[in-house]
Amino acid sequence: MLENTPKVKLRGLFKIFGADDKSVLPHVQDGMGKEELLEKHKHVLGLQAIDVDMQAGEITVVMGLSGSGKSTLIRHLNRLIEPTAGEIVVDGEDVTQLSQADLRTLRQEKMSMVFQKFALLPHRTVQQNAAMSLEVRGMDKETQDTEARKWLERVGLGGYEDHYPSQLSGGMQQRVGIARALTANTDIMLMDEAFSALDPLIRTDMQDLLLELQLELKKTIIFITHDLDEALKLADHLVILKDGAVVQQGEPQGILLNPADPYIEDFVSDINRARVLRIRSITNPLKSKKFAGDVEADDNLESLIALSEGDTALTYRVMSDGEPIGELNMRDLVKALVPRISSTQAA
Amino acid sequence: MATYDWFFNALGLRDWCDASTSEAPMSMADLLAETGNAVEEPFYAIPFPSLDALNEACGQITQTRDVVKGLEEGFLAIRPALRTILDPITQPLSWMLDGTLYLFTQAPWFLIMAMLLLVTWYATRSVSVMLFNAFCLSFFAFVDHFEPAMETLAVILVCMVISAIFGIPIGIAMSKSNRLQRMVIPVLDLLQTLPTFVYLIPLIFLFPIGESRLYGIAITLYAIVPIIRLTDLGIRLVDQDVIEAGNAFGMNARQKLSKVELPLALPNIMAGLNQTIMMSLAMVVIASMVTAPGLGVLVLRGIRNLELGVGLMAGICIVLLAVMLDRTSKAALSRIDRAKSKTS
Repeated sequence: MLENTPKVKLRGLFKIFGADDKSVLPHVQDGMGKEELLEKHKHVLGLQAIDVDMQAGEITVVMGLSGSGKSTLIRHLNRLIEPTAGEIVVDGEDVTQLSQADLRTLRQEKMSMVFQKFALLPHRTVQQNAAMSLEVRGMDKETQDTEARKWLERVGLGGYEDHYPSQLSGGMQQRVGIARALTANTDIMLMDEAFSALDPLIRTDMQDLLLELQLELKKTIIFITHDLDEALKLADHLVILKDGAVVQQGEPQGILLNPADPYIEDFVSDINRARVLRIRSITNPLKSKKFAGDVEADDNLESLIALSEGDTALTYRVMSDGEPIGELNMRDLVKALVPRISSTQAA
Repeated sequence: MATYDWFFNALGLRDWCDASTSEAPMSMADLLAETGNAVEEPFYAIPFPSLDALNEACGQITQTRDVVKGLEEGFLAIRPALRTILDPITQPLSWMLDGTLYLFTQAPWFLIMAMLLLVTWYATRSVSVMLFNAFCLSFFAFVDHFEPAMETLAVILVCMVISAIFGIPIGIAMSKSNRLQRMVIPVLDLLQTLPTFVYLIPLIFLFPIGESRLYGIAITLYAIVPIIRLTDLGIRLVDQDVIEAGNAFGMNARQKLSKVELPLALPNIMAGLNQTIMMSLAMVVIASMVTAPGLGVLVLRGIRNLELGVGLMAGICIVLLAVMLDRTSKAALSRIDRAKSKTS
């Protein structure tokens, strides 16, 4: 890895659910599949051979259908679920080796979590909920109050401090959940399908809120979702899980343009590619002399199609931070809009 | 000639059997037989091979009445040991009961009424419940049943507090350990299904009649069951997602219990307390047979002396007391529920 050492590093992570998981581990390591394991040994395969690096300050999105093990994966990071085998290294420290007391300290100070079903304390006010993490740590009341107030304000809940969770809508409850995680002031935030229970418009709002906060806070966020649009919108690094194994991971644009197998091709085939793909991802080296105009590398293809008014003969110069970094022919753009689907070609 | 002689003859035990001719007193049947007036028994009257029937055939077998006597002697033999242990442990219960009874019967009526209504207001914040309670208390006083009613109430309150002090921790421990739950539930079932008279018998032998802990223990044993059950259930029913959140933010076991589990289980625990109060009331009437004071004594007098009016009047007071306690504790429960899911 060229970049600095990853914030969270998973190496050879296995999870098998069952009474005697250690003894059936060798079978799985020898390549036994999920169905066979269930049939022969009555154990359920949760995760197999997970190797993922999560960089500091990035949003790593783990995506997969239900049952693919994504929620299991995120619960390994703070050891809400014990792994069968493998390493979970956070800031150079192997989480699997921690004592219970050290583990609690890690959960209090290094990781906070946002839940799909909010999991707020119903008998406490919004303010008290947000302050929970500090209260657990034994901070004085004043710090708890000011911190909780600050972050509630930040997620747009100023004025709701004395309400109870049941008085708020789903979206607002999840804002409390996010404020609670932010108040903990941890480097790492785990978000387990945090927006999946919200309706689509609210979900978009929340995604924007998260991106806006991230721009400023630069947390290491691990985000679980089953929604590809959400994954592509948020991800700096995208990990796709299937049956407990990583099928492909990398930069989301790259996955979109070069899906590794039919499972992912199926996934990405329904996407509005013009909106998701960035000009940067399909830029070629500079060759031509004449350009129809300059475009920003981080704009999406949709904006360029609008700009060119559909003329495929044009070539644009791609600019980033005021410097030309390459060119883009409208023909390449049109080609990139068509998903490469080997399965349908074969059929 | 007894029915089962053949059995011991066949086993070759005749000599052993006759070695000790029973010196036990004769049974009524034997006496009848000796007088020669024995009724000719029909051929189908074969006795079940009970201890008594076998004893007739073989003197070595003990008779049932000896077993009964053995039980009694066994119990009396361990009684001193049990009392050395139980006496000091249960002594505070006597003090609590006597003290509370003294307070409730000696303080002037207007003070007690004011105190009870204040407690009602604090617990329920409901004007209607308070008015109802004021009506009931005035009624007791009006028909000159205030003192026995207050005695009953005092006993119930003490037993409720004791049940909560022991029941809630037991319930919490049960919710944490499946094995403990499996062990405790049969005991709870036993306490609930045993006819109340049955455990009055050993208690009478263990504690001197006239000491208040005798009925205190009888009532508590009966009334503690629902609060244990509902504490256990309540904590087990707490939303797993919220507990997971507690874990994810690094709560230790004690923080989880005090900040998450107990508050969320509180409605169930309060429902258990309500049941405990109602069962104390049921038992305090029965326990009047072992000197529990209060309205139960009047009911008992009504039964013993066939004084219908006395029994009925005490019965009416008991019903009113029951409704009072039930209303008050339910109103307190719903106040907690409201606080939990506050919709302004």
